[in-house]
Amino acid sequence: MIDNIIISIIAIVGAPIIGGLLFGMDRRITARLQNRFGPPILQPFYDVFKLFGKESIAVNQTQMLYVLAHLFFAIAALLMLVLKQDLLMLMFILAFSQIALIMGAMSVRSPYSKIGAQREIMQMLAYEPVLIFMAFGVYKVTGSFMIDGILTYPAPLLYSLPLIFFAFIYILTIKLRKSPFDFSTSHHGHQELIKGITTEFSGTQLALLELTDWYDLVILMGLIALFFAQPLWVGILIALAAYLLELVIDNICARVTWPLMVKATWVIGGGTALVNIIWLYVRA
Amino acid sequence: MEGYVLALLALATLLPAICAAICYLIPNRAVRNVVVVANTLVLFFCAWEFVRLLLGSNGTLVVSESSLPSHLGEVIKILDVLLLGYIGYWGIKLKKPLIIVLTLLQLIPVIIFEFFMGVHEPTAAFVIDYLSLVLILLISIVGPIIAVFAMGYMEEHEHHLHLEKTKQPAFFMIVIGFLGAMNALVMTNNLSWMYFFWEVTTLCSFLLIKHDGNEISVNNAVRALWMNCTGGVAFIAAIIIIYMLKGTLSVAEISAAPIAGEFTGLFPVALGLLCFAGFTKSAQYPFQSWLLGAMVAPTPVSALLHSSTMVKAGVYLVVRISPAFLGTDLGYFVALSGAFTFLAASAVAISQSNAKRVLAYSTIANLGLIICCAGIGNYIALAAAMLLIIFHGVSKGLLFLCVGTIEQGIGSRNIEDMQGVMKIMPFTATIMVIGMISMLMPPFGVLITKWLAIEASMSMPVVLILIALGSACTVAFWSKWIGIVLTMSYKPKYNVEKIATSIKFSLGFLFAMVFVVCVGIAPMYSFLIDPQLQAFNFADKIQVVGSNGGIWLMSSGAAVGGFAVLSVFAIMFFLFIAAAYFMSKGKSADLRAPYLCGENVGSDIRGLEYTGPGEKPAGVVVRNYYLTGAFGEERLTLAFNLIAGALILLMIGVGI
Repeated sequence: MIDNIIISIIAIVGAPIIGGLLFGMDRRITARLQNRFGPPILQPFYDVFKLFGKESIAVNQTQMLYVLAHLFFAIAALLMLVLKQDLLMLMFILAFSQIALIMGAMSVRSPYSKIGAQREIMQMLAYEPVLIFMAFGVYKVTGSFMIDGILTYPAPLLYSLPLIFFAFIYILTIKLRKSPFDFSTSHHGHQELIKGITTEFSGTQLALLELTDWYDLVILMGLIALFFAQPLWVGILIALAAYLLELVIDNICARVTWPLMVKATWVIGGGTALVNIIWLYVRA
Repeated sequence: MEGYVLALLALATLLPAICAAICYLIPNRAVRNVVVVANTLVLFFCAWEFVRLLLGSNGTLVVSESSLPSHLGEVIKILDVLLLGYIGYWGIKLKKPLIIVLTLLQLIPVIIFEFFMGVHEPTAAFVIDYLSLVLILLISIVGPIIAVFAMGYMEEHEHHLHLEKTKQPAFFMIVIGFLGAMNALVMTNNLSWMYFFWEVTTLCSFLLIKHDGNEISVNNAVRALWMNCTGGVAFIAAIIIIYMLKGTLSVAEISAAPIAGEFTGLFPVALGLLCFAGFTKSAQYPFQSWLLGAMVAPTPVSALLHSSTMVKAGVYLVVRISPAFLGTDLGYFVALSGAFTFLAASAVAISQSNAKRVLAYSTIANLGLIICCAGIGNYIALAAAMLLIIFHGVSKGLLFLCVGTIEQGIGSRNIEDMQGVMKIMPFTATIMVIGMISMLMPPFGVLITKWLAIEASMSMPVVLILIALGSACTVAFWSKWIGIVLTMSYKPKYNVEKIATSIKFSLGFLFAMVFVVCVGIAPMYSFLIDPQLQAFNFADKIQVVGSNGGIWLMSSGAAVGGFAVLSVFAIMFFLFIAAAYFMSKGKSADLRAPYLCGENVGSDIRGLEYTGPGEKPAGVVVRNYYLTGAFGEERLTLAFNLIAGALILLMIGVGI
């Protein structure tokens, strides 16, 4: 019990630091890819501290609530990860966190924010099935839905779930809102979208959204690392490599339309995941 | 003991019938209100007593045939014939040959079977186990509350229609009588009696749907009637086949897990026909259209049909007989049909902008999931099925009442018109949003059952695919709608809603019920559902346990899955407090208009207009995506019906 509390506290404090640093590296690497010098690694932290200091303005008085729900449920998902809980339920909690953000964006009568929210819903429509397939594939291999079962399973999951790993990397692009799937919001202002789902958040709210993104990133990296949990450091290296890959993809792709995204994700992401699951059945 | 059970049973079934008669015979509003309230209290009492008695028993309460009044069997037989005759009369009156044919197809077998074959009735006439109890609780708690809601609602409804003569006596008669029939249906152990109550519910829903009497409601009522009559034909056919094969009509004996070798001959076909009957009643594809059409009726009817009565009879039957086909090909196709309906209805719901149609599709989807779980038939799946019957009943009942109230308030049931309803009807809208959240998100019950269903489908990958895709679709259509209702601009001057006390009370009551069942999921599961699953005696290695404020999947002592429901409720609780804090803290000085590229008109903080082409102000239009190009009803329904029809044919055919 005491152990669990200590682990939880370390996770809650440590995750944003790791996440923030990863985002700092992201900006640096992206800049180098574009032949720019880029900001210092700690820039995301400077940004967030600055945002916390801004005067608090809002479009309506309920926005903050959704931001908090978005953050808290991301933390809840993180705790489920570090406390080795049910993988499938973790996916649902993570989805709840996302829905809270969608509600926040839709709660204001703003065209840009609403468009971003609708597109975010389409993104969820695209990737949710793949996440469920992933949890299911893990069950099929380890005989347990608990993350605990993955860590005690003698062999790395990657050997049994190579295609599900690929599918997960695929939807990671959507989850991180990187090109070609960056149409609910993006790191750059776009004419038709402005900042999409985050358009109407500012100051503290925006800072908390950034913070939640850091938590999300750590959770996603953690989920990738689970594919190679024996030894875990290999998994972490794989996760970092995957993140690097996302940055490259982000910089070499143009945005696609959402119908194409849903179709492509269901066919490529869902399809490969299913092939993997069928293979597991045939092998068994 | 048995005498007391019999008295309670009579109270739970006959009292609604008597109250119904009083409502009809004394067309006085005050008397009717007293009767409705008294009926509610007595049914609550019955539900409570059944819980008490069953928890103190060894798992079943039995009323044997010998302790019933003599000739009851004959009375039911005669009523059965009269009932079919009455349905046939409507077929003639409305000049619908299809209904006449379907009635004859039931009437002739019923007469031959009941009067000339010398049927041997089962010795245990009524058997109440935990599955029955779950349904009794739903029928006797949610049902009467909807009747209470109707007291206030129907006044307003008839006021809108400008009727010369009130039709409320007949309305309340059917609504309350419906509850009695449902209670009897879930308690009886005699398949042919169940068939009688089954037909009573068909007739009640027909009469309720056509209550307003205009052309569209009569047409939709006729559709409901003929679709349910096909189910009735299948039901009577199944009864005859089963009796010829097994020589018994005892539901308990039929649904007992068959010993190897007994699942032969036409028995699987008969079970398939019973499932088919369940599908028609539960509005599974391709029979979904009757339930969609049913919403032309006044809102309490929809609430009743969708939550505690009618459609729940169908899933009850399928869950009831599911141990008989556990692990067979029949079970596989039942699961496949249910899962397909779950996906199909969820997908089409994305394209709907009519609130009641969204609710109806969501009901169809959830019933599909229940049937799918019954088909999967392992420990986790049946736990999910029984839990979902409860959670869906409570939440959906609440949501229909909310939509009905909002419809009366803003004069529209279109989701797009609900933008800003938070400001006009804060009480109802808040309850509705939380009701919708309870259909979608953790830690509320419906999601937990979805999670259990997915974890249960590990033996059937195709079912898993259908559920996973359907689950993504449910996220899409619910979150779009919630987003619209939550949309608000500063400064909402909250209205104080003027709604009838009975409406306010019933909304508040069901709202509280949602929390009671969701927060109390662990004890509820341990006391009411687990005993039933233990009695089913599965050979499964994975069991579901409700403990530590959550639901856990245990395999030989170790958790292989699980969820601490209460800890997430703690976060929810904190957020509710935060909500209250931020709502009160918001100062107008901190508020800005939404971003419109700097083209906002004037200093309007709501951002309703922007400076459009030619420097003229133009309205800002924000709408949801409905994706009719991809998920449109016209586009998909025919294909879905054909696929579902094929699956049903396979389901029945696989037994031959």
